[in-house]
Amino acid sequence: MAAAQLLPILLGIAWLIPLVSFVAILFFGPRMGAHGKGAATVATTAIGASLLLSLIALVSWTLAGHPVRSEHHDDNHASIQSHDAGQSPGIWPASHRSPAHSDAVGDSAGHASGHASGHGEVSAPISYSGDWYTLYASGALRLSIGWYIDSITVLMFVVVTFIATCIHVYAAGYMHDELHDVTDSEVQLETGESLHREGRFHRFFQALSLFCFSMLGIVIAGNLAMVFIFWELVGICSWFLIGFYFERHSASTAANKAFIVNRVGDFGMLIGLMALWGGLGTLHFGDSVSSATGQVEQGLFELVRPAENHHEQQVPDGLVAFAAADQIEKMAASNPSRSELRRKVAASVPGWREQGYGKWLLFVAGIGIFCGCVGKSAQVPLFVWLPDAMEGPTPVSALVHSATMVAAGVYLVGRFFPVLTPDVLLVIAYTGGLTLFIAATIAVTATDIKRVLAYSTVSQLGYMMLALGVGGWVAGLFHLITHAFFKSLLFLCSGSVIHACHTNDMRKMGGLLKVMPYTAWTMLIGCLAIIGAGVPFVLGLSGYYSKDAILAQALLFSRTNPQHSILYVAVAGGAFITAFYMFRLWFMTFAGAPRDEHVFKHAHESPRVMTVPLVALAIFAVVAGWALPGGLGVESLIEQSRPAGTAETTTTAGIFGTLTVPAEHESHAGAIHVTATLTAFATALAGVLLAGVMYFKPLISPVAVAHAARPIYTFLVNRWYVDELYHGIFVLPTLGAARFISAIDTQVIDRFINVLAWTAKRVASVDAWFDRVVVDGIVNLAGRATWKAGLELKRMQTGNLRQYVMFIVVGTVAIFVLATLLFRTSVAG
Amino acid sequence: MAPAENPAFWPLTLIVFLPALVAAGLSLPIFPKAREEIIRWITFATTAIVFLLSLWVAVPQFFGTAGAGQFVVGQPEMQGVVKLPWIESFGIEYLLGVDGISLPLVVLTTFISMLAIAASWPIKKHVKAYHVLFLLLETGMLGVFVSLDFFLFYVFWEVMLLPMYFLIGVWGGPRREYAAIKFFLYTLFGSVLMLIAILMLYFTSDVRLLSDEQLIATHVVQPAVAAQEISSIRSAESAIHTFNLMALAAVGQLPNSPFAATTVWLGMSLETWAFLLLLIGFVIKVPVVPVHTWLPDAHVEAPTPISMILAGVLLKLGGYGILRICYPICPGAGLSLAWLVCGLGVVSMVYGAFAALAQTDFKRMVAYSSVSHMGYVMLGLGVWSAVGGQEYRWDFWAQGVNGAMFQMLAHGISSAGMFFMVGVLYDRVHHRNLNEFGGIFSKMPVYSGLAIAVFFAGLGLPGLCGFIGEVLVTLSSWNYSRMLAVISAFTVILTAAYILWAIQRVYLGAEYRGPHEDALKPITPRELSIATPLVFLAILFGVAPQILFQYVTPSVNQQVETLANWTRDVHDGARKMIVAEAEQKLSDGHDVARGVQSMSDEIASRWAQD
Repeated sequence: MAAAQLLPILLGIAWLIPLVSFVAILFFGPRMGAHGKGAATVATTAIGASLLLSLIALVSWTLAGHPVRSEHHDDNHASIQSHDAGQSPGIWPASHRSPAHSDAVGDSAGHASGHASGHGEVSAPISYSGDWYTLYASGALRLSIGWYIDSITVLMFVVVTFIATCIHVYAAGYMHDELHDVTDSEVQLETGESLHREGRFHRFFQALSLFCFSMLGIVIAGNLAMVFIFWELVGICSWFLIGFYFERHSASTAANKAFIVNRVGDFGMLIGLMALWGGLGTLHFGDSVSSATGQVEQGLFELVRPAENHHEQQVPDGLVAFAAADQIEKMAASNPSRSELRRKVAASVPGWREQGYGKWLLFVAGIGIFCGCVGKSAQVPLFVWLPDAMEGPTPVSALVHSATMVAAGVYLVGRFFPVLTPDVLLVIAYTGGLTLFIAATIAVTATDIKRVLAYSTVSQLGYMMLALGVGGWVAGLFHLITHAFFKSLLFLCSGSVIHACHTNDMRKMGGLLKVMPYTAWTMLIGCLAIIGAGVPFVLGLSGYYSKDAILAQALLFSRTNPQHSILYVAVAGGAFITAFYMFRLWFMTFAGAPRDEHVFKHAHESPRVMTVPLVALAIFAVVAGWALPGGLGVESLIEQSRPAGTAETTTTAGIFGTLTVPAEHESHAGAIHVTATLTAFATALAGVLLAGVMYFKPLISPVAVAHAARPIYTFLVNRWYVDELYHGIFVLPTLGAARFISAIDTQVIDRFINVLAWTAKRVASVDAWFDRVVVDGIVNLAGRATWKAGLELKRMQTGNLRQYVMFIVVGTVAIFVLATLLFRTSVAG
Repeated sequence: MAPAENPAFWPLTLIVFLPALVAAGLSLPIFPKAREEIIRWITFATTAIVFLLSLWVAVPQFFGTAGAGQFVVGQPEMQGVVKLPWIESFGIEYLLGVDGISLPLVVLTTFISMLAIAASWPIKKHVKAYHVLFLLLETGMLGVFVSLDFFLFYVFWEVMLLPMYFLIGVWGGPRREYAAIKFFLYTLFGSVLMLIAILMLYFTSDVRLLSDEQLIATHVVQPAVAAQEISSIRSAESAIHTFNLMALAAVGQLPNSPFAATTVWLGMSLETWAFLLLLIGFVIKVPVVPVHTWLPDAHVEAPTPISMILAGVLLKLGGYGILRICYPICPGAGLSLAWLVCGLGVVSMVYGAFAALAQTDFKRMVAYSSVSHMGYVMLGLGVWSAVGGQEYRWDFWAQGVNGAMFQMLAHGISSAGMFFMVGVLYDRVHHRNLNEFGGIFSKMPVYSGLAIAVFFAGLGLPGLCGFIGEVLVTLSSWNYSRMLAVISAFTVILTAAYILWAIQRVYLGAEYRGPHEDALKPITPRELSIATPLVFLAILFGVAPQILFQYVTPSVNQQVETLANWTRDVHDGARKMIVAEAEQKLSDGHDVARGVQSMSDEIASRWAQD
């Protein structure tokens, strides 16, 4: 099939173009036009080209005969044309192919395949995998750079490159201050003046390009080792971007915090990698053909869900054998030949699996990988870095902290889904539930416009994790994609507001609707999308579809596992809080009367280069979830790659008791769907109404509410005291341990060594005295000679060095010569 | 065989002795002491020629030649072996050779030495003596890596010691004398123990135990006159001792290894004692906790180029010694003491990282980072997971050893780079207090960019050289011990913390907070020409690790596979049966020696079977 060769090339190039841009700007950035202005063009062109290639890849994916009904292809092309003609004045022409595909949502195809796999013969989804490049190979082990491409890979490529393109364009306007010398009023020098520095326009785009490269590397990664490599690179890129204003102490601290907190997650991820690598000897997702032997090496997915087992999850042989090391040790004790031992082990593995060997290893692997995702996707308990990361310029917040970096964690959980056991999924669900609730409550009291959005992001990521955890594989990834559109829109809108007001504080805003109509209306669309606004059962914004899917799946999960009903409560409650704080934000910023005349007077609508991306993203925030009659659409595209064996309801007895993970298609059933949709509608409406009566038509005074619930308010304003808690239980003890260990070196080990040296010297002098007084003759002579030699040595250090160097050279040669002569004669004699 | 007849004689011999020859020439009284500039250039030219020579051996395709004495990539055996009698009565030979383990370290040494000389321009005191000592040091280091005779190895090991003592003690900082004597005593202590082990092994060894093939493979006999020499060995009536490292390894791996069979003290075999004594000698060099405290002092007091050599090359001698000597010669002790090697490694990793976090002296922080990073080397070398419970699979251990080798080479680049970067700042502002920097990025952007790249390499960032070794070692440790693996993975957090914190305090921020602000001039061309190759290599090896692995992996895998087979056939198999059978025979009044012989035959047939 042509797609098998074409897709890796298309996406591979799309992945590498930003790297080329990075290298170009790194070396020639300052020379790109006046003050490096051309860097924006270079970077934007690069990511635009990646977008174009991703779109071609999407088209070729759908044309390649993947399970999308072929009769719809012509319709799709027609719709591409009409969209291009109709809606895209002044925007990248390429970007408008994307909606065509995203628009043409067809539930039918997606559900058809879902149902088919539910009832008929279970078949693995189509995917392409292979290796470009080997990092390390020895024996049966191989670490490589490669690809694993299925529909979510292609879709994520389009989404990431599209949003990145919008943000590049936007940033060219937003960052224009950096084109000349900058006075950073947030940095006070010792002299009391503000810092005055050169602009760093090109450096920003340089980091942005590297970031895009790293993110796309995660998306295309064909194995977990490669994921880990780009995982870290994304981390360091975010370090550069968050710390872009590195003169500000808060910015560099936030950058360090982000990286180190992420590394805490990576610590867990490493353990997960080890658990898989040590037992299985592979980290590849898909099967691959060994270049050395030509044999097919099974990937993780096939090992955990083998085709002969109807893709049902089982502990792979390697992990079973690894866990049964003590049993194998016993077998090896009789010293059988290698092949004999291998045969014996293979024969015993099924029995050991029955006994539960290796079950824990698979659990550890899943939890470990999830730990990495907890760090990247800012879940409880590692969410603390994301709000601080708002220290970076706003386009960074939009790119890094809504659509890409934080999306990586959810993406990896989605990608790694077949390997996750029900126990791991339950942990994921609870982590997500806790995260969405905690973050939502903090967002309620935040007054910094970007921080509200930051906590909102954390909360929405919690939604996605929860969805994946309760078996809503499509729902979680669907929300990941719709959220990417509306959250980047919201961030860019907030950036536009900050750009106009020169403050992040919503208490100084208000009434901006009049002066910033584009920003205000597009942001309203973003707010409506995030709360999942829509006419129930008829039509809605993108968030309406994805959020409903999550609610439905969570409801279904609660029904089948009544002991975990709290998860549904969290989802529904979270929806209410989300609606409240998002409209609180919009009302405080744009509605009512201006609160600060000074700010209001200087506010103005942002330039075209910034508003155009807003409009483009707004369109997608509306339509990204739409289900047009046809065979294409985000949801059905995702459904195409549903991991084999996950379409059915499974019940297992795990560590946390018996757990039923319900099949996702069942959540589309009437009763569940209706209840979920109505709940979503009611909670969102209630949230908006409450925000309205508090901040639009102030029937209830927010101040009075805050006063009445003072302890809770203080608790939330202080963000649950998580930062303080971590400082107390992690940071301080770590620094204390560091000081303690350093003190061991100087106070214990070195002191011991010094005492030892002192004692040796004393003993030597006593010995010398003993020699002098008691022992005569040759012993005395030797002792004195040693002592003298010591004195000589001491004098040499400060004295005539040149002679001594001569002596060493002569000595070195003499060692050889003397040794040769002496030994020979002595023995011969 | 006369030297001229062996084409491999000149390349290796020149690489090792050219620096010493030039040193001898320079130290002649007739050479004008005042012509400092000429001395510098002569020394630099020497190190550059030696570097090119080592490249000529290592990368023939660069030079378009494939002559004798040049390395054949992918061949695991010793190459370019030079064998000349030296002290015949003790069987001590001038025996040199390189394989995939030593050759990359030789090139690293010549490369770092060249850069270190370039970094020595700011040295103003006793210029001539400095360069003479430096060249002697280079000879010592290179000699250790290419020696295949244990005695020769020891001689070179000692040759390194004195120049280093003086280089720290004369050209160092305020506490130089303390640091130098500390370095000297620590290392001397280690080498005395090593000498004991060498003599123990020598006097127990007996090449008559080896088969004809082994005698040829280990270069005990010359291939040209093999038959004649073998027959003289076979007819010898008393034991023929040897210092030949390859032969010692072959003897040590025999089922009836005399090292294992001899009990010396406290009920432990000679093998165990030799392993321990050698290990102490080597880990002092590595260094591991708790014998590491010479390192921070030596580094802090040593001048920048000497710190580069210390961290870049000298520390690797320890790891190399463990890999080349401890494990192959004393496999039994290696297996039973693997926990010690791994444990020391992990403790060093964590301990070093914590200690680095607490430092306020920039150079001391980098020194502790070396302790932490060399811990990975120890862990990787030690993860002997090729045991019965793992079906004797050697892949993971090989991965650990390959990772350790890579880590040594990568650390040679990154730590030399880090010390150089610290030195650049110190040359300007004459202090190293982390809390009195800040804002360097704004003042010296090019330098800061390169420095941050080097520090990121130390942080183990993917795409830079530090990552590959660390991740291979960490991943391999799981199969040896879950607990150690988890602790070693934990280190990544601490590493990120101390490096990023240092970068923040030094390079980021709005303004410089220390003295001599005016001296913060941009990087000079000379400094740039030292920093750029280091950064370039850090990226190159990070992106294309196969460049190094193509040399390292064949030799490492061969050794690991041999030892894995040894575990199965000798340690788990024959040893048990020998004991059982010997007891049986003893009680029956049979000849034990014959029983041993029959076991060896059985093992040989078993090898053939697999």
